[in-house]
Amino acid sequence: MLTDRRSEFEATLTRTAEARSQEAGAAIARASLLKDALHRFSRNRAAVVAAFAFLVMVAFVTFVPIFRDADPNAVDFSKAFLSPSLDYPFGTDEFGRDLFVRTALGGRISIAIGFAATFAIMLVGVVYGALSGFAGGRVDNGMMRFLDALYGLPYLPFAIITLAIFGRVNFWTMVVALTVASWFTTARVMRGQIITLKENDYVRAANALGARWYRILFRHLLPNTLGVILIFVFLELPGVVLGEAFLSFLGMGIEPPKASWGSLAQDGYTAYQAHPYIIVIPSLCIGWLILSAFFIADGLRDALDPRTREKF
Amino acid sequence: MALLEVRDLHTYFRTRAGEVRAVDGVSFDVEAGEMLGIVGESGCGKSVTVLSLMGLVQPPGRVVEGSALFQGRDLTKLQGRELEDIRGRDIGMIFQDPMTSLNPTLTIGTQITETLRRHLDMDKKQARKRAVELLDEVHIPNAAQRLDDYPHRYSGGMRQRVMIAIAMACNPKLLIADEPTTALDVTVQAGVLDLFHELRAQHDMAVIIITHDMGVVAETANNIIVMYAGQIVEQAAALDLFDRPEHPYTEALLAALPQLEGEGIREGRLLSIPGRPPDLIDPPPGCRFAPRCAYAGHDDCAAVPPDLREIRPDHWVRSQHPASERAAEPVGV
Amino acid sequence: MLKFIVRRIVWTIPVILLVILMTFFMMRLIKGNPFQVTERPVPAAIQANLDRKFHLDQPWYMQYLYYVRGVFTADLGPSLLQRDRDVNDIVKEHFPVSMKLGGLAMLFAIVVGIPLGVIAALKQNTAWDYAAMAVVNAGYALPNFLIATLLIYFFAVKWREETPFPTNGWTGPSSWVLPVIALGHAPMTVLARIVRGSMLETLQQDYIRTAKAKGLRWRRVVGLHVLRNSLIPAVTAAAPLLGYLIAGSFIVETIFGLPGIGRYFIISVASRDYSVTMGITVLLSMIIIVANLVVDILYGFLDPRTRDVRT
Repeated sequence: MLTDRRSEFEATLTRTAEARSQEAGAAIARASLLKDALHRFSRNRAAVVAAFAFLVMVAFVTFVPIFRDADPNAVDFSKAFLSPSLDYPFGTDEFGRDLFVRTALGGRISIAIGFAATFAIMLVGVVYGALSGFAGGRVDNGMMRFLDALYGLPYLPFAIITLAIFGRVNFWTMVVALTVASWFTTARVMRGQIITLKENDYVRAANALGARWYRILFRHLLPNTLGVILIFVFLELPGVVLGEAFLSFLGMGIEPPKASWGSLAQDGYTAYQAHPYIIVIPSLCIGWLILSAFFIADGLRDALDPRTREKF
Repeated sequence: MALLEVRDLHTYFRTRAGEVRAVDGVSFDVEAGEMLGIVGESGCGKSVTVLSLMGLVQPPGRVVEGSALFQGRDLTKLQGRELEDIRGRDIGMIFQDPMTSLNPTLTIGTQITETLRRHLDMDKKQARKRAVELLDEVHIPNAAQRLDDYPHRYSGGMRQRVMIAIAMACNPKLLIADEPTTALDVTVQAGVLDLFHELRAQHDMAVIIITHDMGVVAETANNIIVMYAGQIVEQAAALDLFDRPEHPYTEALLAALPQLEGEGIREGRLLSIPGRPPDLIDPPPGCRFAPRCAYAGHDDCAAVPPDLREIRPDHWVRSQHPASERAAEPVGV
Repeated sequence: MLKFIVRRIVWTIPVILLVILMTFFMMRLIKGNPFQVTERPVPAAIQANLDRKFHLDQPWYMQYLYYVRGVFTADLGPSLLQRDRDVNDIVKEHFPVSMKLGGLAMLFAIVVGIPLGVIAALKQNTAWDYAAMAVVNAGYALPNFLIATLLIYFFAVKWREETPFPTNGWTGPSSWVLPVIALGHAPMTVLARIVRGSMLETLQQDYIRTAKAKGLRWRRVVGLHVLRNSLIPAVTAAAPLLGYLIAGSFIVETIFGLPGIGRYFIISVASRDYSVTMGITVLLSMIIIVANLVVDILYGFLDPRTRDVRT
């Protein structure tokens, strides 16, 4: 009896299948991955605010020195230590220099160092980690042991010694010092990513089709790590900016008259009792950058992770 | 009075896109010692139904309406401690994925004994002894030694047995099994199902088993409920359902079962039901199965929602075109 | 379990040797003769004597080996500048201060950070959560020199009469309070964040659903099932925090005038006393390596799955 039903139903199905399947079900909108990610990013309110804040900061450091008249290096003791006012929104320092424009210029340097160092960290870390993970076996083991040893070196002393080796502190030596001391985490994470991705079937398929190793690495594996790399950029950036600030604060910052936020803060430290704004303002700028970068990274993490949060 | 009486249960999930009506008016009874099978596609609301009974529906979901009387007490109205007392002691539950349902940082022994000590007030020694007995009952070899192992040392099938042991530890009156064999190999499945029979016989326990695999409930269940899009579309004794299915969806499910031998053996493709389940935020105004139904035609199937009616004694169906009432030719296209 | 521990310990030895080697190399790359404190060049004979004393006339690998032997016999060599003092003496004098500072800061971070994270997670999306996270995020963003300066400003300047917290020097317990807060607040925010995130994720897990279905009391579910699994990532984060504590201590010690090893490091670099620089670096490295070891072993305790996996 069951079978009678089945054959009858079967006949009906084959007749109506075509017609029905077109009506049934909702259309699946084909969105590109990027659009999808952007959409998810925009749903994270904190990330959107942070992205906006980040751009505001970038605009600040870019445009203020262009449009503001004051000469950042002009020494005028009659104008020393003015509190923030309409004329001098951030006040002046002990030499009478306008802090509004100096903070902006300092921001240029801090952010530039931040991005340059982050870029370098990505370069070194990604290459090292990807090669290690991709090579696997003894090579991977060896490379990771070496990395373990590097982890043992304390961050700040390492950076300081590197600067001492160079003998002088300018933009490039600072970037190198910070990079050298911070690339390990990125390398390790990249290696982990590559190892996980290596196991995927599409890699096996590519191998079976005879693809060369560099093709697999560059065409298949690395593009899938772009999301993680992007997230890491915004995670490493605060660390690097903070590191530079620390070094500057300890007196090992960029040589004057160039200044970064860290060295501005150090300038302000000696006079904080009477004029706290000199140290507070650049510190707040650093904080602004750190916080916005962090929330952007958070938003990117949400955006690029295809797993949905809402479970039904 | 039945052991469990569910009446008009509605469980909705509030989302940004709208209110998802995952369970939309479900009622059924379970008698003591009886085995009820709930079958349906993924997303039809079968899991959410039983989770609602146990109060395990996570926000943004909640029970908006209805009642679930277990031994006379309404589970949906209980809070906190009262519900905690019933869970694990009077109602046991096992879940679909044994690989993730056990805490990886606690030993199996701890995870069994904590239930015993919580509900039955045993001390450590008693609980351990009982835990070993339970593992023996579910046929875990070397139970005494394996009590102190961590879950990652157990295979999937064994972990599911452990879950069963845990659920049965306090001799519950009702066991709810949500897709207990879905994540297991076929051979292991058979073993777990046999275990169910054995335990049911020994402990006179009611069981609700949820599955999307008709074969699992075919031999074992007393009654079967077929769910679709948050509603019950057919409800009958197992034998009657398999013998004379009424609802087009049920027929389709049964027709989709591959057959390896027998008269009706087909050559050619496996049958599948075309189309997809409806959107539960904005369900179709009429019969929810109409868009995929071979028999829904130019009548009011798409406009008027059918009620659940008793087409035969103890056989209910929600359709305007149940098998027994169909004209010779189907209307469709 | 024991095998795991032994294996881990054995692995650290080549790591230590490698670290010393790298530090050694880096120090050699720094130009400049540390003995040349004045404008006049050092007389040849005296230079030769100094060279012999400090093994500087030997090939580099011999110097390296001498140094390694020194490290393992707890002899970090003499100070290049202060003729009558060994690096050991300097370390012995200043290190305990830093250790206490760092230890207390870590304690502060744990005692304040973890409960904050737990509360925020359990009361997700309520006022408690937002308030806790606002505090945490503000703390995270502000650099510790700002926090330190603000603390000093308020306690030493504005509230001078009422405050019991001195802000300079390492005198009694009350002088520890402000530096500990300045140093510990950033790790505290990191821990709070990690614990919150980890708990939220754990709460979603299937085995928590099982625990609830077993009818266990919520207190136990959270206290045992949730917490134990959530703290694992927090432990993993502890090791990098140590690196931050070291870096931060340089600044906090400088600002608060604490006679710790961080401040001394800066002084040694400025005064080109390179054996001190190297000694401190090696010492800090050893601490980091040992701390990583401890964290790994602790992790093995907490997560049984890692014990059976080959490292």
